[in-house]
Amino acid sequence: MKNIFKSTFRNFVRKPATNLINLLGLAVSLAMVIILSVYSYSELTTDNYHKNGDRLYLYADMSGRMYMPAILKDQIDLNVPEVESAVRLAGSWEPPVFQAGDHDPITSDLVFADVDFFKLFTYEAVEGNLENALKEPMTVVLTQSLANKLFGKDHALGKTVKMNNDKELTVSAVINEPKANTSLKFSAITSNSTRKIVQANGDEFTDWGWCDFQTFILLKEGVKPDETAKKITALFPKNKDDQQDYSKLKLNPFKEVYFSQFSLFGSDYLHCGDKRKVMILILVAAMVLMIALINFINISSSQWVDKIRQTGVLKVIGARRSNILWNVLFEAFSLFIMSLTLAVILVGVAAPVIGNYTGIHFNQHLLYSPVFLLISLAGTFTLSVIFSLVPAFRISSSRAVDNLKKTVENRSSNSIFRGVLVSAQFIIAIVLIAFTVLVQKQVNFGSSNLGFNQDNIIGIKLTPQLSQKREVLKKLLEEKPIIEKISFTQYYPGKFFSHWGSNQVIDGEKKQFSFDTFNADASFFGMTGLQLTQGRFFSDDLTTDKNKMVVNETFVRDHKLKNPLGTKMVMGMEVDAGLSEIVGIVKDFHYKSFNQPIGSLVIQNKSYASYCLVGLNSIDFQSLHHSLEEIKKISDGLSPAFPVEISFLDQAVEKMYQSELQFRRTFSLFAGCAIVICCLGILAMSIFACQRRIKEIGIRKVNGARISEVIAMLNKDFVKWVIIAFVIATPIAWYAMHKWLENFAYKTELSWWIFAMAGFLALGIALLTVSWQSWKAATRNPVEALRYE
Amino acid sequence: MIKTQDLTKIFQTDEIETSALNSVNFNVQKGEFVAIMGPSGCGKSTLLNIVGLLDNPTSGSYLFNGVDVSQMRESQRTKLRKGNIGFVFQSFNLIDELNVYENVEMPLIYLKMSASERKARVEAILERMKISHRRKHFPRQLSGGQQQRVAIARAVAANPGLILADEPTGNLDSKNGLEVMNLLTELNREGTTIVMVTHSMHDADFAHRIVNLFDGQIITEVKKQMGE
Repeated sequence: MKNIFKSTFRNFVRKPATNLINLLGLAVSLAMVIILSVYSYSELTTDNYHKNGDRLYLYADMSGRMYMPAILKDQIDLNVPEVESAVRLAGSWEPPVFQAGDHDPITSDLVFADVDFFKLFTYEAVEGNLENALKEPMTVVLTQSLANKLFGKDHALGKTVKMNNDKELTVSAVINEPKANTSLKFSAITSNSTRKIVQANGDEFTDWGWCDFQTFILLKEGVKPDETAKKITALFPKNKDDQQDYSKLKLNPFKEVYFSQFSLFGSDYLHCGDKRKVMILILVAAMVLMIALINFINISSSQWVDKIRQTGVLKVIGARRSNILWNVLFEAFSLFIMSLTLAVILVGVAAPVIGNYTGIHFNQHLLYSPVFLLISLAGTFTLSVIFSLVPAFRISSSRAVDNLKKTVENRSSNSIFRGVLVSAQFIIAIVLIAFTVLVQKQVNFGSSNLGFNQDNIIGIKLTPQLSQKREVLKKLLEEKPIIEKISFTQYYPGKFFSHWGSNQVIDGEKKQFSFDTFNADASFFGMTGLQLTQGRFFSDDLTTDKNKMVVNETFVRDHKLKNPLGTKMVMGMEVDAGLSEIVGIVKDFHYKSFNQPIGSLVIQNKSYASYCLVGLNSIDFQSLHHSLEEIKKISDGLSPAFPVEISFLDQAVEKMYQSELQFRRTFSLFAGCAIVICCLGILAMSIFACQRRIKEIGIRKVNGARISEVIAMLNKDFVKWVIIAFVIATPIAWYAMHKWLENFAYKTELSWWIFAMAGFLALGIALLTVSWQSWKAATRNPVEALRYE
Repeated sequence: MIKTQDLTKIFQTDEIETSALNSVNFNVQKGEFVAIMGPSGCGKSTLLNIVGLLDNPTSGSYLFNGVDVSQMRESQRTKLRKGNIGFVFQSFNLIDELNVYENVEMPLIYLKMSASERKARVEAILERMKISHRRKHFPRQLSGGQQQRVAIARAVAANPGLILADEPTGNLDSKNGLEVMNLLTELNREGTTIVMVTHSMHDADFAHRIVNLFDGQIITEVKKQMGE
């Protein structure tokens, strides 16, 4: 046993460069596999921790209708005995501002829920009792982190927070931070009875026409969800004019909600993930592992020749076959174990950095759990046995006499085998490079083809105080010479805008209308550079323009309007809502995220606004930031009780694509690692190739070969394998990229240069790596190579 | 053809300095057949390598065909060597992956000779060395004597004026050794200058002149009477 350790160690030290390459490549790839598998595990088990999770459903049509009327719950409580409890959840329109005593006000989020919320969803109380926490109106449950922000280290229970500088809420409980892998994200939660007071909204709780809530259902044990869903759907009052499709309304298991591609209008509390991305990352992890394993096979098989000679000596002095087999296996296993140890250390060090960069967060404690250690040890053991079994048998079964002779050397089948493996690595590398370029191209395409101007615009979010002093704000801003235009609007990229559905009578015909809408003033158009296709924009000067609207092309198309200009519609739910007239049509632009199709849009000329857009003279970066400071000073002065959010419009746009951005970063980071490991592999291969051909190089040089000719000869082999890889990789990459792009409503082109670039990059990387060794080999004095035989 | 003056070569490893050649004055006339003799480690091979433009001396001058080559860069030496000097080694030094034909063809490729001319030359030389029936075979399929004949074929393929042979018979039995020596003598008669390093007195007898090297210095030079 001691001897095995010794010989393992000595074999490692004898060829430090290639063994280190082997070790590092394996360690980095195992680290990536660990990170990605822990992340994927955490993503795939999202929302799995609720005690009643198996009976928990969301009543909705995940591909469309997510909002339910409040009164539905009351009807379920009365008429559907299979339901143990129904809970309505809704986000707040605007993020509320909380203030505790004299502390600074804090912009937070707030979810409205029914009393049974904590019966459906599992949370741990730090302070207070969750069972009754939402019973009384004007009470609030805070997460630990928000409570700490508001009250410092003091106990929060029983204390009050002021909401939006107005009503006071009493803290009835504090809960532990919700787990990272949950679709429900909030820092404060209050009851729907509180909603009636702080956010009173017409007949929201009594009228079937007001759809503001997501309805979660806890079924009794053994109840079939499909039948219950039908019963719930039957509760909707039947109305002949109602053209809504009720057939898609279902009870969706809560555990599956996270990976359904639903969309909510701006409410921030319910999040969805993307299973496709998780799957792609798992695939990337698998590919990286494959590259590293190929390195392992290549490097260890290159060492066979040496090892066979070594075992020849051992056999001559009487070693049994099993001794040698065990020796080879042990050597492989110890290399894998060292890599795993290194990988775990690497993950510990790099995980926070990677998390910051890519947005991949996971529970680090998982890394040190016995289950994880057991699984990774078992995995490592299996891998090392599988991948060293063939060489182990070959080495141990070869005859001692043959071993001592050189007949085993330079079998051409060996070098073809290694070439094929190098090709396989390059296929993966080329596919990954091409995909990285494509993801980048798609992200660029998304943010640069929105159809409106984003540059040099600053958005000020209007707090209640700023809304009141709008004219003062405008006057103060106009005094600054750097400010060119000012517009008040409800629109801001990535923020909430309304979706309306209504019945209209157009040309004596009844029609169902459904559209997104926001308010804007006349200068909004000039500032964002929207293009008119028909009619005109609003004009501020005309008092008659108050009830005018501008619609987009999709609106005209979707609602089949023959003469859109002059069409009059009833806008608003109020009884006295007058008729509004369409005066202009704008070219379609991406007011929603690029990943969603452009919807029907109505821009209304009404005064209610939630943002003030400030257009600046095009100027340099420094004065841009200076003016940001000035604008912040002005708005802060006008809004002492509410923190004012100010941001650049283009950054807000970028935020809309956060998940794409993070995906791009994750993908390129891991693809980059894969390529580095690939490089390490061919570096090792080229070291071996040069060592193997050292005599040949010497002979050729003696016979008149120039250095450049020797380098070309050595590089030719690798270039050949890269070209083969390129030919095979291109259709694979094309297919994968094509599939990926299918998921986007608007997609970038699959240009030929992506493949060319990937191929040339791979070739360049290979040539650089190999040439380094080739150069070293070619410049050696041939005399040295030929001196010893 | 070869004229060296105070040729000195010092090898330097980490701590030890070894002087392999010490002020060697060695001259070879065109058309001569010279044998270099001496015990192991006396500097024979080092001298041969410098003469063959594979290595530079540490100091001293070396005129090859009247050109001072002692300070030339490797690329210049390669250029000069090509087509002018052929090498024959004790261990043959054929390339295992190439067959007989390809091995002999190699120096011609580096001379940028056209394919048809290469073919004619190689065929002729293989014929002459009596191994053209083996042209498709690989080195390890050949006997030692055959391998050395291929090596000589390769050395003379480019028609060099000088052939340097480093113990050409060292790995051969006496019959094959004699055959190789006869080949070299024949080449010499046709005008090729030959410098040969050897341990064997028997082989050295084929030469016109024997130079004895000891500890990096020329001890004696024995010139044989022509036509003896």
